[in-house]
Amino acid sequence: MNIRHNPLGTVFPSGQGTWKQYQPDGQSSLLPIGAPNVDTRLRGGIARHGLHEFFGPTKVDSHAAVAFALLLAWRLPESDAGIFWITSDKERQASGRLYPHGLSAMGGDPSKILLVQVADLRDALRAAADGIRSKAAAAVILEAQGNARLIDLTSTRRLALAAAEAGVLALLVRGDAVPMPSAASTRWQVKSAPSVPLPGNAPGFATFDISLLRHRGGTAPFAAKVTWDHATRSFYDAPLSGGLSAIVTGGEADPASRQRA
Amino acid sequence: MEKERGAMRLVACDPAALALGLTPGTALADARARVPELAVFDHDPAADLKLLGWLADGCERYTPACMLDPPQGLLLDITGCEHLFGDEVRLAQDMQARLQRHGLTSRVALGATPDSAQAKARFAARTISALPVEALDGGDKVHKALRRAGLRSIGDLAIRPRKPLAARFGKTVVMRLARLLEEEDPRIIPRRSPPIIQTAQNFAEPISRTNDVLATIEMLAGGAALQLQERGQGGRRFEISLFRSDGHVARLAVDTGTPTRDAVLLMRLIRERIDALADPLDPGFGYDLIRLEVPHAEVLENVQVGLETKVDTDAATAALIDRLSVRLGAQRVRQFHARQSHIPERAVLERAAQAGAPKADWPKPEPGEPAMRPFRLFETPQPVEVTAGFPEGEPRSFRWRRQVHRVARVEGPERISPEWWRHARGYEPGNGGLTRDYYRVEDNEGRRFWLFRRGLYDETERPLWYLHGIFA
Repeated sequence: MNIRHNPLGTVFPSGQGTWKQYQPDGQSSLLPIGAPNVDTRLRGGIARHGLHEFFGPTKVDSHAAVAFALLLAWRLPESDAGIFWITSDKERQASGRLYPHGLSAMGGDPSKILLVQVADLRDALRAAADGIRSKAAAAVILEAQGNARLIDLTSTRRLALAAAEAGVLALLVRGDAVPMPSAASTRWQVKSAPSVPLPGNAPGFATFDISLLRHRGGTAPFAAKVTWDHATRSFYDAPLSGGLSAIVTGGEADPASRQRA
Repeated sequence: MEKERGAMRLVACDPAALALGLTPGTALADARARVPELAVFDHDPAADLKLLGWLADGCERYTPACMLDPPQGLLLDITGCEHLFGDEVRLAQDMQARLQRHGLTSRVALGATPDSAQAKARFAARTISALPVEALDGGDKVHKALRRAGLRSIGDLAIRPRKPLAARFGKTVVMRLARLLEEEDPRIIPRRSPPIIQTAQNFAEPISRTNDVLATIEMLAGGAALQLQERGQGGRRFEISLFRSDGHVARLAVDTGTPTRDAVLLMRLIRERIDALADPLDPGFGYDLIRLEVPHAEVLENVQVGLETKVDTDAATAALIDRLSVRLGAQRVRQFHARQSHIPERAVLERAAQAGAPKADWPKPEPGEPAMRPFRLFETPQPVEVTAGFPEGEPRSFRWRRQVHRVARVEGPERISPEWWRHARGYEPGNGGLTRDYYRVEDNEGRRFWLFRRGLYDETERPLWYLHGIFA
């Protein structure tokens, strides 16, 4: 598998000697998405030690928001330290559970995920704060459906401060909800996007339409389309739909290898 | 006073009734004739046993080895415990006084074996030789035969040769005699196994403030941690017993996922445990004894903390798991475990994280292939209405939760056979369950789903479609 690009390459034009390559704090605390188009606009990536919100505008889209947050957490180099996943009884009933075989197929390690299923949102927020402060996991993901009054400026600021202090990536996934004021450093809207089909008109790699709604650092809102590559655990800019090459990875272009009984 | 079965007999009497000449076993009609104003209650053995259990809990302040002797007895093994109260007589006095405070009459007897103490208490005898032969518990026949032979007390039996006795009345009688005479010492079977480590604090004046209680527990935890360190062990379970001065005992238990002897961590868990209690601790008139026990411990080596102050993520994870398990319940904090099955929902198991870390043996993704399994799976497959081009064909569109999705791309079927060996007589045709045909589907808005048709057309007349999972 060839690496498509060096995400830091855009940030650090050249390294003149080892000392120059040392990353200053401001830059090392950024998590690049991997797609050059998005990272340039974000000036390197999203804050690694902070809170980010992902909205799925409808119930069906909330799955895309969940997937995008999870994949973003896997962008962390130390994600093998674990992901702390908080969900509620209601959520699990309505949206199903995480399926480790699928997670592993996307390039992650399901045994590094710690699942916590809580009864209500109050417990969920408390568990999230505990998880962040304990530094047990590199990323903490909390999913909540619907418009919840408990997720307000105060509770999100609490999470954001804890995340910044502990150096943890905190991701809040809101399905079927309207954005409300919050202390998150970025806010995204995520939807599934048509993938580039594989031979035989088979569905392709996970592709998302993402749009930045708000950025604390002042980056202007923009929209982009990104595809996940599980081999490099990185996003790349999705080709615009149209008659582009269906084969996105070199090498295994043999359609026969894709035939499954 | 209680009644029993059809014959309506007295099962137990209080001292006032005994003074009037009523004894257990008297028929109710006779008793009524003698004492018309007799108050009678139903016999409730379950409640009796519960009360006995409650008393046994309270008696654990004297010794950890405590055994129920239904219907009305308790056996305590006070070996090595009596010096805490001065001597064994003072211990017995203390216990009797406490029982009296609850309005219970009791007879306490001390003996070198459980059998002798039990018999002395039951027959109110001062010495073993004064016990009647009924103490042998050998049945009416044996007792009558012994009495007819002129042997009225255990003292009479003790001086006889044993062999003829065994030949006439059987071995059990002789064994029981040996136990009564304190020649043979069977151990009692305590209700709870003795802990590995136990620390306790007595109070002359009962304490009731939560802060005092927590401070005491902290002190005890420090002591237990020191003992654990000496043994090179870490506790997996910690139990705290709060003995209230009125005899009630409240128990708190904390389980940990990994062996630990960190008093600070333990205190945090205990605080969580107290916070999570459904009904808060009621100190009543205060606690006069607080005890901390470690019933389950495992080897825990000393670890050298590195010079560089790097956070130990393993330790942090274990601490987080314990903390959340105590607060939310162990079943709510889970990890994925793989299972050998090709049925998608059977291939994974979620187990409590405290039960142990999972092995990382998940199928690796194939380069250049998209995920063939969804990242989310519904607990119960969602029924969908599917329009297919032709009966065995791939779906063209489907309706799920009142929304129609037009299929833009599709791949399949991936055929998954049922596990016929799990069905009764599954080897016979038609009994093994239904085959599933799975399709990876993308609708024209880009959402990717995992659909399956349950049953082939030669297995069932109208196969139904379900949505089983969602792809990223």
